[in-house]
Amino acid sequence: MQSRVWKSGDPFIWLAAGALGTALLMIGGLFWLIITRALGVFWPAELVLLELRTGERFLGHIGAVEASPDPENSKTLVRRIQVQVANRDLSSADFVWIDEDQIASRTRPTDAIVVERQEWGNLFGWLVAVTEDGEPIAQGSEQSWQVLQQMLPQVAAQRGRIRRLEQRQLGDINYRMEQTRLEMKRYELRGDDAGALQGVRERLTRLQAEYEQVYARLEAMKREAQRTVAVFQTASGQEKSVPLVQVVRAYWPNQMSTWQKVRLYCAKFWEFVSGEPRESNTEGGVFPAIFGTVLMVLIMSCAVVPFGVLAALYLREYARQGPAVRLVRIAVNNLAGVPSIVFGVFGLGFFIYSVGGSIDSWLFAERLPTPTFGTGGILWASLTLALLTVPVVIVATEEALAAVPREHREGSLALGATKYETIRNVVLPSALPGVFTGLILAMARGAGEVAPLMITGVVKLAPSLPLDHHWPYLHLDRKFMHLGFHIYDVGFQSPNVEAAKPMVYATTLLLVSIVVFLNLTAIFLRARIRKRLHAGAF
Amino acid sequence: MTEFRVAIGKRRAFRRRLADALAHGVATAGGLATVLGIGTMLLFLTAEVAPLWQGARVQLEGRVPLGEQPSLLWVSTDEYRELVQAIRADGSIEWRRVADGRVVHNSRLPGTEGLGVEAVQSPRSGQVVYWRSDGVLVAANVVTHTEYTAAGRALRPETAELGRWNLLPPGQTPRLFSTGAYTDKGISAAWLRADGAVEWWSVREQRSLLGGGRQVEMREVIRTADGARVQSMVLNHAGNQLLMGTDEGTLEVWQRGPSASQLIDRRRAADRASISVLAFLLGERAVAVGDSAGGVSVWQLIRDPQTTTGHRLVRIHSFRPHQAPVVQIARSERDRSFVSADSTGTLLLRHSTSEQTLAEIPAGSVRFLVFAPKGDGLLQITLGSEARAWRLENPHPEVTLKTLFGKVWYEGYDEPAYVWQSTGGTDDFEPKLSLVPLVFGTVKGTLYALLFSVPISLLAALYVSQFSPPRLRSAIKPVVEIMAALPSVVLGFVAGLVLAPAVEKHIVGVLMALPLAPLSVFLAGLLWHACPAVVRARMPHGGEVVVASVFLAITGYFFWVTSAYWEQLLFAGDFRHWISEVGLGRFDQRNCLVVGLAMGFAVIPIIFTIAEDALANVPQRLVSASLALGATRWQTAVRVVLPAASPGIFSAIMIGFGRAVGETMIVLMATGNTPVLDWSVFTGMRTLSANVAVEIPEAPFGGTLYRVLFLAALMLFVITFIANTLAEVVRQRLRERYQRL
Repeated sequence: MQSRVWKSGDPFIWLAAGALGTALLMIGGLFWLIITRALGVFWPAELVLLELRTGERFLGHIGAVEASPDPENSKTLVRRIQVQVANRDLSSADFVWIDEDQIASRTRPTDAIVVERQEWGNLFGWLVAVTEDGEPIAQGSEQSWQVLQQMLPQVAAQRGRIRRLEQRQLGDINYRMEQTRLEMKRYELRGDDAGALQGVRERLTRLQAEYEQVYARLEAMKREAQRTVAVFQTASGQEKSVPLVQVVRAYWPNQMSTWQKVRLYCAKFWEFVSGEPRESNTEGGVFPAIFGTVLMVLIMSCAVVPFGVLAALYLREYARQGPAVRLVRIAVNNLAGVPSIVFGVFGLGFFIYSVGGSIDSWLFAERLPTPTFGTGGILWASLTLALLTVPVVIVATEEALAAVPREHREGSLALGATKYETIRNVVLPSALPGVFTGLILAMARGAGEVAPLMITGVVKLAPSLPLDHHWPYLHLDRKFMHLGFHIYDVGFQSPNVEAAKPMVYATTLLLVSIVVFLNLTAIFLRARIRKRLHAGAF
Repeated sequence: MTEFRVAIGKRRAFRRRLADALAHGVATAGGLATVLGIGTMLLFLTAEVAPLWQGARVQLEGRVPLGEQPSLLWVSTDEYRELVQAIRADGSIEWRRVADGRVVHNSRLPGTEGLGVEAVQSPRSGQVVYWRSDGVLVAANVVTHTEYTAAGRALRPETAELGRWNLLPPGQTPRLFSTGAYTDKGISAAWLRADGAVEWWSVREQRSLLGGGRQVEMREVIRTADGARVQSMVLNHAGNQLLMGTDEGTLEVWQRGPSASQLIDRRRAADRASISVLAFLLGERAVAVGDSAGGVSVWQLIRDPQTTTGHRLVRIHSFRPHQAPVVQIARSERDRSFVSADSTGTLLLRHSTSEQTLAEIPAGSVRFLVFAPKGDGLLQITLGSEARAWRLENPHPEVTLKTLFGKVWYEGYDEPAYVWQSTGGTDDFEPKLSLVPLVFGTVKGTLYALLFSVPISLLAALYVSQFSPPRLRSAIKPVVEIMAALPSVVLGFVAGLVLAPAVEKHIVGVLMALPLAPLSVFLAGLLWHACPAVVRARMPHGGEVVVASVFLAITGYFFWVTSAYWEQLLFAGDFRHWISEVGLGRFDQRNCLVVGLAMGFAVIPIIFTIAEDALANVPQRLVSASLALGATRWQTAVRVVLPAASPGIFSAIMIGFGRAVGETMIVLMATGNTPVLDWSVFTGMRTLSANVAVEIPEAPFGGTLYRVLFLAALMLFVITFIANTLAEVVRQRLRERYQRL
């Protein structure tokens, strides 16, 4: 019996099956975790009012429950619940832990309100009044809610106007002033043409005046916006006045129907995807990060495809096959296994300090010592990633080229086509899906990399997108934001990690979706090529 | 008509040939450029690292005769090494340009009109303390402001007296003299009297709580313990520590307490020679000692509870000796470099921490020797009162193979140690750049990652290749590929913010589940074996995976949930306390257990894919033959397939190793990033890669830290490249073997 067990190896086979199961459970668990946590982020959870035996009151979202040893009696365990109470500006912590046996009552007050603010995060409490210049225009929860609902769209429009003024007009003037200053410096560096210099100086003065004017208008608008104020009361009885312009959104989660919740969910999701970050990235949207990621991957693709394909063509079609080419092939293959941080270091030293530094001293001398290309930027980050991913494209392309049947090539050559014509008309078209597969894999890898970007141009908050309406539209020297770095930064560098977690989960889901989508596309594409090749063989 | 056609044909043929040649050229050029670009990377990294080992370069820049009379007492040079500032015995100060010897400015020490000056010291830049010939000690500021005007640089020296103290009767002059800096707390000075005793004087400003101040003067006479004659002495900036060297080669340290001074320790620092020069190094924790036999060493006080004073003097560095007595030692104000000069005029440039002698300069003779403020030059005054300015290029004196990879005795440390600490809070902080803790961290992280992922991935590969139905296999491949593609920042986030706190809370459950969950599956397999054939036949092919997963999940979940109870039962409710009591060290929340698990996500798919490939491609003939001879599937898998595919498995592990070594984001986020040197699974580490990612953005371009980080990157490059190449070569040979079989 015993020897039969060992012979059949059943327990070991089961163990092996268990190993496979572990890997599958790991990946499944990870996806389950990310998806469930991330999808819950935008759902308007109910507000629960907890009254403790001590008389303290807490209003918030109920979070995790945990059992921990009782500090007084180490033999028993105490169940504690985590409550997100928000009101970061009034109490010190976003979250509190409450012993379950301390709770006297739990209620769901129907008129408890969630206010999403521009600053200080959410506010949980009750609406008391709405005032204008200190005069109440609405009192009581119900009436004030009606007024608030009416006014919020106008306020949003007002906020939009202020932002446009601030970013567009003021930003434009600033930009032009900066350009003028540089022009001035250029003239000064050359040291001739005093008349032109004078003209530039006058232009700068004019711009300054214009700036003052717009700035005054902006200040007036901001003052105007501060006039209407909503007054709230929190669970602990404190009163808090919030200027309406600060209110992004307000809702009564305990009264909402499912349909309303779904609509709110979609609105919040849309804000996440299309909005600007607030509160040092822990709230608002991630649009700049999405934009930065996509633009970087596109620039990377522009660099990686020609070089990757040329290298593959050379290795497969033009170079004489021998030990040298084999060696190169192994080297290229292994480059894919070199740690990404090494590429980052190379990018920093070579692209930024060597190449960028030279570009600066030739072309942007007037800006020195402020570096233009001599510091991290989207171009250098993209090129670094291109270097990192070029082996992926080379390997995939080579594989595709090798898979083109010999007869096709020979047929083409036999019909009198030159080698170039054969490659262009016969080889490349049938290798194209392979090239695409390589490109997509490279894009997936590039989108997910963070380490090399951290040192070649990613920042936590970029003041402006690398693409805008100022000539030359695409600003390759600008720093940019990136989804992966956003995860690292918000999750690990923000002061209030617990409150930032929902944002990180949502960003993670977004990034993982992009990467998984790209990979699935590549897998699908590859499967189709294989199928076609097999079909072609018969 | 025909001619015309032929012409067209010719032109077309030419164009086609041209296009063909052009394409050939472009492909070759582009291909070669790409391949070369990749090679450039290695070259560039090496080129950035190479200057670390460049020695120092010294070059004579200029020489200016300063004139013998009145005799020189003190010299210095400015930041740009353009001027020589000299103080003479008549109290005059002159600034002279090195380039043409012209005196650009003249001034005089405050309070020296009509009086001579006996000795001058500068305890800190911009401050001088001097003895007047009437026995009065004076502290004064002599600051040279540099102003930039349209005409160029202009000097505006400013002198101001800070205080004067009548210490000696007129006519009596100190033979040796050293002083601390003048601060708002007071000043201290020590000098050698004609009778061979040392007098240590200080004045302290004592502030009462009410705001009033009171000066407390203290004056002591110190004699050496065995009556040996004092040959050299030096007082620190703060004026509370006095070092003396004697003609018998002993070194004494005295510490000033509130009421009296105490001999802290005395040691023999030179054999059969007298200690001729003492000089504190930057930071004033270590002192350079030169003796009359030419020996040069660096000493410092370390804590030693066995001595009565609790401190002991130790020699922490020794250097190549001079051929003649050491007469001068000058320290750099930038790093731990110093120059020692002997009586034959040979200068040796040293670096204390790395124990290097970086350059030898035959300089004739030496009366004074000072470092330029930026550490990039030397000013030497010969016995003939000629000033010589040397340019010094000494970019990375602190780096040697020994300081990078060996134990180094840093200033202020009680013993030699491996330390990585690149930045510190103070100006005189010494960067400690030992790569050992980082290499150790990398090895540790890799080891735990592989310990976790190698068994899982190899067993899974064995199962998928040998025992699973083909449909399962084709379904698993893309899943694994997706797993491999997961961005490491996501894994790091989940590991650091979700897994680490959860594992910490359920640590006992996790530790129990690690062996027990697989055991439960193993037992399930035994049970299954005992099942009657009827039951066994009903299991669909590949069903083991589902059942085993369920078993794993149930046992894992059981221990996870009951963790707190186990902790109560086995460790009295506090596992962290228990491990520190047993002597297993600390417990970090972000520890190697978490890193191992998280890196598993990155490494498992890589090892799995390659190992599965190797196992599945073992020629079917071998398997069939084995089965036909009556071996079971398991026996075939273990005795035939595994050995045949072992090179492939080796290369799979190598590639997994390469991935784990270079992984950056996971370790950055899932460990505490403290460079520690212990193997405990419950502590974190700092790896080469994470260290580079954290520190290189702050490293000044071209500086030592920058280049050392490049070295770390180069090491990662080389290690992974070797591992991958090895794996690739083994795999290719395996493929050829399979074809032959």
